[in-house]
Amino acid sequence: MIYFDNSATTFPKPKAVLNSAYYASRYLGGNPGRSGHKMSVRVANEVYKVREKIAYFFNAKPENVVFTLNCTHAVNFAMKGVMQSGGHIIISSLEHNAVARPAFALAHSKQNVSYSVAEVGDCNEKTVSNFKSLIRSNTKCVCMMAASNVTGEILPFNEIAAICKKRGICFILDAAQGAGVLDIKLGDGINFICCAGHKGLYGLPGTGVLISDGKYQLSTIIEGGTGATSLELEQTDFLPEQLESGTINVPGIISLGAGIDFVKNNGLNNIKRKEDRLCSLFASNVGRLSNFKIYRNENKDYAPLVSFSYKNANSFEVTEHLSNRGFALRGGFHCSALAHKTLGTEEDGLTRFSPSVFNSEIEVRKVITELKKVNNIGI
Amino acid sequence: MQKSLIAVSSITYAMKAKKLLNNMGLYCEIQKTPKNLGSGCGYSIRVRDDLKYIFSILDAENITHKAYQKLP
Repeated sequence: MIYFDNSATTFPKPKAVLNSAYYASRYLGGNPGRSGHKMSVRVANEVYKVREKIAYFFNAKPENVVFTLNCTHAVNFAMKGVMQSGGHIIISSLEHNAVARPAFALAHSKQNVSYSVAEVGDCNEKTVSNFKSLIRSNTKCVCMMAASNVTGEILPFNEIAAICKKRGICFILDAAQGAGVLDIKLGDGINFICCAGHKGLYGLPGTGVLISDGKYQLSTIIEGGTGATSLELEQTDFLPEQLESGTINVPGIISLGAGIDFVKNNGLNNIKRKEDRLCSLFASNVGRLSNFKIYRNENKDYAPLVSFSYKNANSFEVTEHLSNRGFALRGGFHCSALAHKTLGTEEDGLTRFSPSVFNSEIEVRKVITELKKVNNIGI
Repeated sequence: MQKSLIAVSSITYAMKAKKLLNNMGLYCEIQKTPKNLGSGCGYSIRVRDDLKYIFSILDAENITHKAYQKLP
């Protein structure tokens, strides 16, 4: 099988990532931050080293790096933590359900919370202006993606974060598709970064990170044992332990550290350049086929993924056909109700091609050849 | 040199303190906070240097120190 579904989770993982997870499972016994014996402290030290790596990567402090299960958990912690006392949220019209559903749930379960959806325009200036026009006196938070998981479009998050900074609004960035390929840092208005550990950062599934600049104290949505302040019934009130109730995923976290090393050693720009080249090759060839449509606009910038539709079958049928011929792509709606509504693809969905640094031009040419056959003779 | 035990907020802050002090060439080890020094299950750092000096380093890095005791 040739794997082109790296936006869902990267595969294969770098050898160093696999080795680190094995090492952690085999040798890093003990529960970090709990028992206090030498094994436990040794594991805590290894976990802390990963916090430092992530902090350095995103320009944060190690104690403000919270390990979560995935990006969705991180977004929920941040958005619900900030909105506990009510207010208005703005999200974009391309948001993943990881952002859209918590906003919807908050607005429907709390009388004092409301949300607005800012249309992503045909140019960045329009998008920024759409966000700006929705800001109200009670707007407390803007939560948006760095890049769309459906089209790959990179949104003008830095510009919008800068506006939020001026207006005293908390800015939460969903970097699920951006981390590992875009240069994303805390500061200049970005108060929280949420990301998956298992996508562009090449860690194992079951890893995610919430990174805070420390300006906003979050309310908790999960409480429990943190290894600190154990005799108090009130939840620990400082990061990272406040948001890390229960035992953390040590092998996953150690693998994430190795994944970040992999990205740094290969160079974020080099990784993006290679994946962009593969996407351009794919988009330029498939875009020429009369029965296919590519969802890209030449005036915009994209993270390395390409979505397309086929005139004579829906995306589920296209994906199944490709799967039967040895290609793993993702069809359907990509957990993105808003994005497909915005794109007008709610009926048939889209098929998404998302390479990683491990894919080759030869592999891309193979799937192009298959799609040419589909174009000529059908599924 | 007088040894002391300083209770900090959590294992993360204990790690941060140890790294910081060790990088400055100062002795620092981590241990569980004894019952008389904290509210259960916390972590402390064992240090050998002048407490005022240590506290100034911890304060500069926002490492909250809750309580301390001199060790024999």
